[in-house]
Amino acid sequence: MTEKIDLREIEKKSYRFTFKDGIYDIAYGTLLLSFALAPILREIIYLWYIIIVIPPAPLIIILGKRLITVPRIGIVKFDKKRTKSMKKMIFLSAVLVPITILILILTITNIFPGDIGSLMNGYTIPIVAGIFAIILLSIGAYLLDFPNMYLYGAIIGLGIPITEILQRYIGSPTDGIITFGISGLILLIFGLYNLSKFIQKYPIPKSGLINEK
Amino acid sequence: MKNNNTKSKKELKKIKTVDKIIHEPARLNIMAHLYVVESADFLFIMRQTDLTFGNLSAHMSKLEEAGYIEIIKEFIGKKPHTMLKITDKGKQEFDDYRKKMKQFFNEL
Repeated sequence: MTEKIDLREIEKKSYRFTFKDGIYDIAYGTLLLSFALAPILREIIYLWYIIIVIPPAPLIIILGKRLITVPRIGIVKFDKKRTKSMKKMIFLSAVLVPITILILILTITNIFPGDIGSLMNGYTIPIVAGIFAIILLSIGAYLLDFPNMYLYGAIIGLGIPITEILQRYIGSPTDGIITFGISGLILLIFGLYNLSKFIQKYPIPKSGLINEK
Repeated sequence: MKNNNTKSKKELKKIKTVDKIIHEPARLNIMAHLYVVESADFLFIMRQTDLTFGNLSAHMSKLEEAGYIEIIKEFIGKKPHTMLKITDKGKQEFDDYRKKMKQFFNEL
């Protein structure tokens, strides 16, 4: 009993325990792979490709947590400080995500106002979009206390301008496959590895009534 | 020598006032985990403390009897679900326990 009870550490450990399942890595990996495949899908199904690109990641998070994580580790409600951070993150996403999507749409449709698109050899928009992604995901990582999100921010934020540079040399869709495809695949494999470890370590309790006690 | 003896007796007296319900390692672990969250279900606490179902169940009953935790019955969809929450009394006793232990080890 001589060990110090570090409550902050216990809270942090409990909180981070809920991210051990690798679900977020799988979701972001899938999102990056969708980015990589977007130009190919756009050729085949035109604007409908957005339906295939956007929904899988949030669906993986929602269904993964509900069907895989919760039955194995149970439910926890964290204190108000964590809830407030989550609300801030939702507010931030509500403001920044539409702006980022708007920038992307304006870039794709080539109707960005004025000559902004041609500044810096046409790298302005990819750089701005990249910075936006880094800022959004870094703030998210900080607010959610989820360090992996810094990595997601770096991959997406650097991936956008690098794709633009590669496009001029090797063309599309190879550029996206090199940047987002490889990083997405690595993230996906990493997430699946963590998920399999998680499933092995935390099987669903035999007594399904464990929480109905 | 006499002074040392008196000091030891005083320290021993202090440790005797420590809450024995919380002092048990498994229950201390449970209390610490419930102290830092709003509420958690049985399975989550089981995973965090590495206790078996039976062990956790027995310790929970003792903590509930003492009024340190409360058991909240709710429904998730149509399924009944039990959430565990530390009570105000439990928080107070846990704070007291920490203070006493800290003081005891500082004076040791």
